[in-house]
Amino acid sequence: MCAVNVLARISNVLVMDRRKFIKNSSLASGLFFVPSFVKAFSNHISTETGYKRLVIIQLTGGNDGLNTIVPFRDDNYHRARPTIGLKKDDIIHLDKDLAMHGSLQSLKRLYDKGFVSIINNVGYPNPNRSHFRATDIWQTASRSNQFLQSGWIGRYLDQFGKQPYDAMELDQSLSLALKGENQNGMAVQNAYYFYKTTQDPYLKNVSKHYKEAHLNEHNLGYLYKTMIDAESSAKYLYETSKTVSSSIDYPNNSFANQLKTTAQFINSGLKTRVYYGSLNGFDTHVYQENTHKRLLKMYAEGIDAFVKDLQSKDTFKDTLILTFSEFGRRVQQNSGHGTDHGSANSLFVIGGNLKKPGVYNNLASLSDLDNNGDLKFEIDFRDIYATVLNKWLDVNHETVLLNKFNQLNFI
Amino acid sequence: MNKKEIQHLYWRAGFGINPKHLEFLSSKTRKEVVADLFFQSKEYAPLLIDTSDFDTLTYEQFTKSKKIQRAYIKNSRDKIKELNHAWVDAILYSDSVLREKMTLFWANHFACQDKMIMYVQKYNNTLREHALGNFRDFVKAISREPSMIEYLDLKQNKKDTPNENFARELMELFTLGVGNYTEKDIKESAKAFTGYNYDFEGSFEFNDNQHNNEFKYVFGKAGRYDGDDIIDIILDQKTSAEFICKKLYRYFVNNQINQSHIDEMTQVFYPNYNIESVLHFMFSQDWFYSEEHIGNKIKSPIELIAGISQVTPLSFKNTDQLIRIERMLGQILFYPPNVAGWKGGKNWIDSNTLMLRLKLPSILLSNAKIATNKKGEFYDSFNAYKKGKATNTQFKTSSNWLAFKSNYQNVSTKELPQYILQCSINKGTQDYLETLSINNKQDYCVQLMSLPEYQMC
Repeated sequence: MCAVNVLARISNVLVMDRRKFIKNSSLASGLFFVPSFVKAFSNHISTETGYKRLVIIQLTGGNDGLNTIVPFRDDNYHRARPTIGLKKDDIIHLDKDLAMHGSLQSLKRLYDKGFVSIINNVGYPNPNRSHFRATDIWQTASRSNQFLQSGWIGRYLDQFGKQPYDAMELDQSLSLALKGENQNGMAVQNAYYFYKTTQDPYLKNVSKHYKEAHLNEHNLGYLYKTMIDAESSAKYLYETSKTVSSSIDYPNNSFANQLKTTAQFINSGLKTRVYYGSLNGFDTHVYQENTHKRLLKMYAEGIDAFVKDLQSKDTFKDTLILTFSEFGRRVQQNSGHGTDHGSANSLFVIGGNLKKPGVYNNLASLSDLDNNGDLKFEIDFRDIYATVLNKWLDVNHETVLLNKFNQLNFI
Repeated sequence: MNKKEIQHLYWRAGFGINPKHLEFLSSKTRKEVVADLFFQSKEYAPLLIDTSDFDTLTYEQFTKSKKIQRAYIKNSRDKIKELNHAWVDAILYSDSVLREKMTLFWANHFACQDKMIMYVQKYNNTLREHALGNFRDFVKAISREPSMIEYLDLKQNKKDTPNENFARELMELFTLGVGNYTEKDIKESAKAFTGYNYDFEGSFEFNDNQHNNEFKYVFGKAGRYDGDDIIDIILDQKTSAEFICKKLYRYFVNNQINQSHIDEMTQVFYPNYNIESVLHFMFSQDWFYSEEHIGNKIKSPIELIAGISQVTPLSFKNTDQLIRIERMLGQILFYPPNVAGWKGGKNWIDSNTLMLRLKLPSILLSNAKIATNKKGEFYDSFNAYKKGKATNTQFKTSSNWLAFKSNYQNVSTKELPQYILQCSINKGTQDYLETLSINNKQDYCVQLMSLPEYQMC
C-alpha cells in the first residue's frame, strides 16, 4: 500500500516536470531550447551569494513627471503651466534641456556619480487614466485592454521562485504585482511583528504535527504548506535580519522606514530577489506645489540614505532600484493649480553599474501631444521589465511577460 | 436528506448552517430541502441605508464649487463603508441566504466600482433583485446602470468617437468568454451601445443624438441594432449559456470542470436563461453531493467571516475595523480589484492572509487566544506567549456565545468537528488535537475554527 503511494507520487512528480518542460520549451523561442535536465537545473533562483537584487518603488497616485524632470527651456512648458511651472530657482540643471525638481537635491548627487539613469516617455499604447486600472496594467504587465489576474513578479516566482520570501513587499498586504498563478510573494512591514504573528503556540503545534503522507486533498495541502512556509520564512527573516543594524541616519517617515527595513534585509544577506515598496500621495489635482515638493524630497532623501546604507555593506553594486508611477500627469495645468491624470512618464533606474547613466532619451515633444493633451509614449514599460528580467535577474522574460519585448541598454 | 449533504448545500448555496436548523431539515427529502432553500429567497428586499444627504441633492448643488463637490464625495465614500457594513450584516443575518450568496456571486461577475453612494446602492440592489431571475433581463439591466456606464466608459461611447470598453467586457467577461468573438464583433457592438447615459438621479438616459443608427455587422448578422439587440444576439448563442454554467459550476461545485455536468446544466439554462432553474437543477443532482466536492473549496474572506458568525453570531461595532479586516484578508466589498473580479481559490491565500485567517476566530471570539492546554496540564502556556505580545489588534466585536450554547446544546464536544468542519482533519493534526485536554466546548470550537481545515467548505 505504502509502496504504491510512493510510486504514485514519484510518477506525479515526473508528469509535472514533463508538463513544465513542455510549457517552458513551447513558450521559449528556438534559441532558448535546451535539454530538460539543463533547464531543470537553471529553473530556480540561484542561491549563490552576491546575487543581484531588484528594488521596485511605486510613486502611487500618478507622479507629475514634467515637474520632476523639467523641460525648462521649452516655452510650451511654461505656457501650459503658468502658476505651477517651475522657475529658474526651483530647479537643478541636468543638461541643456532638462532639469530636476529642486527637491531632488539628494538624488542629483547620486546622478552626478553616475548612479541614476532617467528614462523618459515610458508608457504603453491606449493608456488608461484610472489609478486602479493603470496600476493593474503596470503591476500585471498587461496590455491596456487585457485583464490579467497575476502580477509580473508573481509570474517570475511561478517560474523561478522557491520560497515565498523570494519577493517581498514592505507593506501590510500584498499587491497584485507579487501574486502569481501558483506562488505568491510575501508582505512584511516589520520582521519582528511578522515573526510574532507566526508564534501562536497552538498554530505552531498544528504545523509541527502536520503529516503530508495522509493528505489527499489538494487545496488543504496548499494551506498547510503556506502555513509552514510562513512560519519558517518569518523565522528566517527575523533571525537573519536581526544580525545587522544600520549606522546610517534615515529621515523619519514611513517611506524611509520601508527602505531602512529593505536595506537591513539586503545587508543581512537575506536571499530575497525582489523588494517592493511605495510612496503614496502623488495624486496632485489641486494646489500641487507644496505637496509635490514634500513628496519628492521624501523620495530623494530616503533613496540617498538607502544607497549609503547599502554602500556601507558593499551591497549597492548588486542592487538595482526601479522607480515608476502608474501614470504621468496632463501637460496643461488645471484651474485648481494642480494637474489631472496623464499618461507617459519618466522612470528612474538607480544602480552602481549602469550602462547609460544620465538622461537615457530625450523628453517627448510638448508641441506634439496625444488627443488628451498628454505626452506621447516612446518606450513600452514592458521593455523595461524585459530588460531587467533578462539582464539583471538573468531569466528569460518571455515566460514572465507572456510575450516577447525589446531590450534596452541601460544595464 | 443526510446531514453531511445538507451542510454541503448550505455551505455552497449559503454561508453554513447551525445544528438546530440542520436537525430540523434532516427529516426532509432532498427535494424538500432544496425547495425550502429557494422558498426562503423568493422575496426580494432591497438593501437600503440612510442616504438622505443625497436623496434631494441636485447636480447644480453638487457642482456648486470644487470644495462642495469634494465634501460630497468624501461623505459618499463614508456612506459606501456604511453600506459595506450593512451588506455584511445582510450576509450574516438574512434568511434569504441563497439570494445573498448569488448577490455576492454576481457582484464578482459584473464587477464594478463607483464613488457615488446612490449609484453604488442602486447597483447592489439590481444585483440582488436579478440574482435568481432571468439572465437576459439581468445583462440588459446592468448595461443601464449608472455605475457600469461610468466604470466601463459607456458615457464616452459616442457616435463619432466610439469607446469599446463596455462592448469588450460584455463579451469577454459577462457573456461569452475569450475566444468566442472577434475584434470586429466588438467594434460593431460598441456602435450599438452609443448614446447610453444616465441623469444625476441615476435614471438611465438614452441620447438619440449620440446614437449611431447605422447598420452594424455582428456575429454574421446585420441590422440597425441597439444595445439590447446586441445582448439578445449574444445570448442567442449557446456558448453564452455554457460560459455562465461553467462559472456557476466553478463557484458552487468544483474548480475542475466536468464537461458532461456542464452540458446538462446548459441544457437547462438555454435558451430561457432562468437562473433559478439552473441552480435548482444543480443543487438537485447526485453529482453535486459527490464526495470529491465536499469540503474542497477555499472559503472567500466573506464566507469565512459569515461562517464564524454562523457558529457564534457576531456584530461588528466599528465599521472601519470591519473594513480593515476585509482589506487585510483581501476582499473589500464594493472594491473588486478590477473588472475581472476576485480570482478566488488559492488566490485568497498568501502568508499574511493565511495567518490572519487562522487567527481570525480567536481574534473575534476569544480575545486572540487559542487554548493549548495539554491533557493533565494545569496552567495555560499561552500566558507566557501573551506577555510579550503587542496588542494593537483589538477588534471591537461582540460575539454571542449564548446563541452558540443554545444552537449546539445537543451536540457533544466529541461531535463538534463534524458540525464545524467540512473536510476531514489531517491525521497529524488529529493526533495533536487528541493530546489536548478539552475542558469546554467553547475552547474546542475556537481550536477547530483556527485550523487550516476550517478554511475549507
